[in-house]
Amino acid sequence: MKSEAVDSYLLITPLLVLLTIFILYPVVANIYLSFFKWKGMGRASFIGFENYQTMFKDQTFWTSIKNTFMLLLYVPLGTILPIMIAAILREGLKGWPIFRAIIYLPNILGYVIMGMIFSIVLRKNGPLNSVLTVVGLGDYALDWLNKSDLALNSLGLVYGVWIRLGFGCIYFLAAMSSIDESLYDAAKIDGALWWRTFWNVTVPSIRFSIEFWIVLSFIEILARAFPFIYTFSRGGPGFATFTLEYGIYNAGFIAFNMGYASAWASMLFVFCGIIAFFQVSLMRKNING
Amino acid sequence: MVKPTIYSDLIHYLMYFILIIFAFLALYPLFFVLITSLKSAGEYINNKLLLPQKISFVNYRYVWINGNMLKYFINSCILIPAALIFYLFTCISAGFAFGRLRFPFRFLIFLSVLFLMIFPQMLLSIQIFQIVRKMHLVNTYVGLILVWVAYFAPFGTYIMTTYYSSVPMEMVESARIDGANIWQMLFRIMVPIAKPMIVIIIIIGFQSMWNELPFSLLILQTEHLRTITQGIGMMQGQYGLDDTILTAAIISATLVPMVLFMFFQRQITMGSYSGAVKG
Repeated sequence: MKSEAVDSYLLITPLLVLLTIFILYPVVANIYLSFFKWKGMGRASFIGFENYQTMFKDQTFWTSIKNTFMLLLYVPLGTILPIMIAAILREGLKGWPIFRAIIYLPNILGYVIMGMIFSIVLRKNGPLNSVLTVVGLGDYALDWLNKSDLALNSLGLVYGVWIRLGFGCIYFLAAMSSIDESLYDAAKIDGALWWRTFWNVTVPSIRFSIEFWIVLSFIEILARAFPFIYTFSRGGPGFATFTLEYGIYNAGFIAFNMGYASAWASMLFVFCGIIAFFQVSLMRKNING
Repeated sequence: MVKPTIYSDLIHYLMYFILIIFAFLALYPLFFVLITSLKSAGEYINNKLLLPQKISFVNYRYVWINGNMLKYFINSCILIPAALIFYLFTCISAGFAFGRLRFPFRFLIFLSVLFLMIFPQMLLSIQIFQIVRKMHLVNTYVGLILVWVAYFAPFGTYIMTTYYSSVPMEMVESARIDGANIWQMLFRIMVPIAKPMIVIIIIIGFQSMWNELPFSLLILQTEHLRTITQGIGMMQGQYGLDDTILTAAIISATLVPMVLFMFFQRQITMGSYSGAVKG
């Protein structure tokens, strides 16, 4: 029995070594470095909370927080649409697997490519505005990416809603497959309309999946949007689509202000901690029923 | 009973209508990119929406020959398989241990591995760059491979662990009676029985690595080392390239994931679970 333990530790060693060096150590060292002034070279000098004080006075920090909250406002739409489409797909209309495949298709491309596609589609002289002009809505052909408010809302619609549809459909279809069919039969006998059945049977039955989806959406917006924004708008125009992640990138790898960048990263750490707390309490609630 | 049928017909049409709209929204941007990549820059100015009047491969010639697309493509084709081999070894051996073997602190260590998945790339980026620099691995594929495997392996390990914990116990026991050592057990029994799951984690790993940007951006700073996704990400906006050329670059970069996905999707749906149980 002893040798089984030795073998096991041998088998998990590659994983644990990598995780310790590249995940665990960086998380801890990041907090430590946030109390230092360091340009990436030479000696780092301890400056206490100065990086944090600078950050809280930094206008771009508050802009990034505001932008993140604005993007979070798109989570409800980014949740209800995939549930609705999944509920329609679940009806098993003729050809539904084809629709599922097409709606999922954009997910094969990564965020970098999708950001780039939409930076072209939404240009002032791009195809969206051409379509709007052709159908007589020329007044709505706006400069989607070059006006601050518009750029942020375009980002919210594309990144918070459009991109999440395909995966959301698959996710909610899987959740719906475990709904007891007799609930639908009962609703049918009652003569309930589709919309009523959707709200009274489908949505409550997958409540846990919906809550979990919302947590996942928060993570995507807060901590995984960088590759998309990098090609979509580079955080601009100005700081219109600037987020916490972008702040880390700018402070660390453009200005080489490593200590200051670590303070920004620590804020991301705090937000991730809050989300993780919700995630764990959700899971616990689900297990306890 | 006339009323319900009219009503249900109406609902059906409405559902098709909604599905068609969303299918269109999903497909149109890709379709637009495809037709634009086949137009000359001059034609695109006057013809944004319609099919190209004259199909031109001038954009593709530009990105593949004048641009560095070919170089980036070869880079990704060397880097990703090498990373996948290391990733597979890490995930399979750890998944085998967590899912099938008993050892002290097993559950605690497994939970910690899952916990480490919550930290996003940009939070780790500053320190990862410093570590890679201290190891003298900046501008090397070895550096990027180590970081990628560390970042992507926990999820693959999780999948392998849940799979191995569902495998019948007898197989492991019989191997142990045969006196096989742990590596023989791993390569002769645990790898072959898990083939369908291994295909799935290869696909997940491939997609994550092919589309990865932040770590490549930090570690591969020399232009001739760039991956295809990184190359395209940096191409955009930097040199004032025409949209027609950018779209050709997009199509070029998406070809491999598209083809691989279509090819492997069939294999996944061919009953990964049933095949797994039979071994």
